[in-house]
Amino acid sequence: MIFFVVLLILTFLAQIVEFFIPPLDWMYDARIYIVPVIVFYGAMSLPFPAVMGLAFFAGFMLDALTAQVLGNRVEISVGWSILLYAVLAAIMHGLRPLFIKGRWEVHCIMSGVCTSAIVLAQYLMISFRRGSLFFNREAWWQIAGPGIIAILIAPLAFWILHWLAGLTRNPYRPDRDAYDAYDAYP
Amino acid sequence: MNRTSIITLVVLGAILVYFLTFGAEGTRKLQAGFYRVMSPFLSSGSGIKKQLTSVSTGLQTLEELEKDNASLKVENRSLKATNQALRDVEHEVNRLRRALAYRERALFRLVPAEVIARDSSTWWRTISINRGKADGIEPDQAVVTDEGVVGKTATVGDNITIVLLISDENCKVACSIEGSREQGIVSGERVTGSITPMLDLNFLSKQANLNPSAKVYTSGVGGVFPSGLLVGTIQSFRVRELDSQARVTPAVDLSHLEDVFVVTGRK
Repeated sequence: MIFFVVLLILTFLAQIVEFFIPPLDWMYDARIYIVPVIVFYGAMSLPFPAVMGLAFFAGFMLDALTAQVLGNRVEISVGWSILLYAVLAAIMHGLRPLFIKGRWEVHCIMSGVCTSAIVLAQYLMISFRRGSLFFNREAWWQIAGPGIIAILIAPLAFWILHWLAGLTRNPYRPDRDAYDAYDAYP
Repeated sequence: MNRTSIITLVVLGAILVYFLTFGAEGTRKLQAGFYRVMSPFLSSGSGIKKQLTSVSTGLQTLEELEKDNASLKVENRSLKATNQALRDVEHEVNRLRRALAYRERALFRLVPAEVIARDSSTWWRTISINRGKADGIEPDQAVVTDEGVVGKTATVGDNITIVLLISDENCKVACSIEGSREQGIVSGERVTGSITPMLDLNFLSKQANLNPSAKVYTSGVGGVFPSGLLVGTIQSFRVRELDSQARVTPAVDLSHLEDVFVVTGRK
């Protein structure tokens, strides 16, 4: 429970930090997203209800901060990002047995894939709303770039979060000692 | 799946349905409320970023400082020379201003605002400014700098406002072109990979034949943007099957905005 609260606070802080990270011009203005990496770590290390809680929090913040209200219409309604985060976090949660056995590398890659999936889903939704769909080199980079960066920062982020999980005695730690605790968890 | 997980999913589903039924007004209120909570963090973050930037730009090597000193001395001599000339120009400008009653004609009530954050998302181009309802700002008001149009206000909180930049595809501005009777709609691009985003000027006639470097101004149609504000400069022009399109370089450097003005009405 303590670790869940820690992750909520970190998600909130990461969302603020993202505002001040400029896009990478050498990567066609791809952006760095930290929040998905934290949420997907939570998806592997928390029980399912807490995962959904974290996904809700992250999705709500994303929607509340990015929803575009234009006259009498909203481009992407509040709730879609919650749904996206919930689905992707549930998928990551399904891979948890691998994580508990210490196979963290699969999750680093999956964090990147899921981060790109969020950006791609946003792009598809706004393209649908705006009535045209195209993919150019910039679009692909802006979709794939955040995923690649997430893959690169995930090992460090996971190491820090793993340390925090240990500090807060979270029972879902990815080591063999914690495996028994995982089995015993209700 | 155990009972707790099922209950969690049901609760999450119910909340989702509730949120998805929000209309524009509900979303606007929710967003304004959330930004009100976030604004102290964004303001603090903005301040920290400025301090960090000033520290990193202030650190120079001795060699760089010597080089700067030499170039500043040259610049100083040059400025002294031009200063006298500018005094004459200033006098003339003041005279012309009085003659044209510029202040009476120019016309807008402007609320100065500071940019506190840029949108962190990939597909939307917005900024947050530190003024809101308390300062008389409302949705759909033009945001400008002394160089030209920046965008328009979207969601307005008590002390924070989200500004939709002119480089966003959803920000459409009716424009006229200098030296031409053509009118068109300027909008941003959905995907841009460069630091300086370009704008598209659409719905021009096939006979438009616009000159590159012609200036594009707001036409006043639509009611959001007053007429005569500089939007940008035409960079290229191409004729399409049914109409023609021009590419426009924005007058304002949207990537380095710090201070803007919200046009809250006419004087």
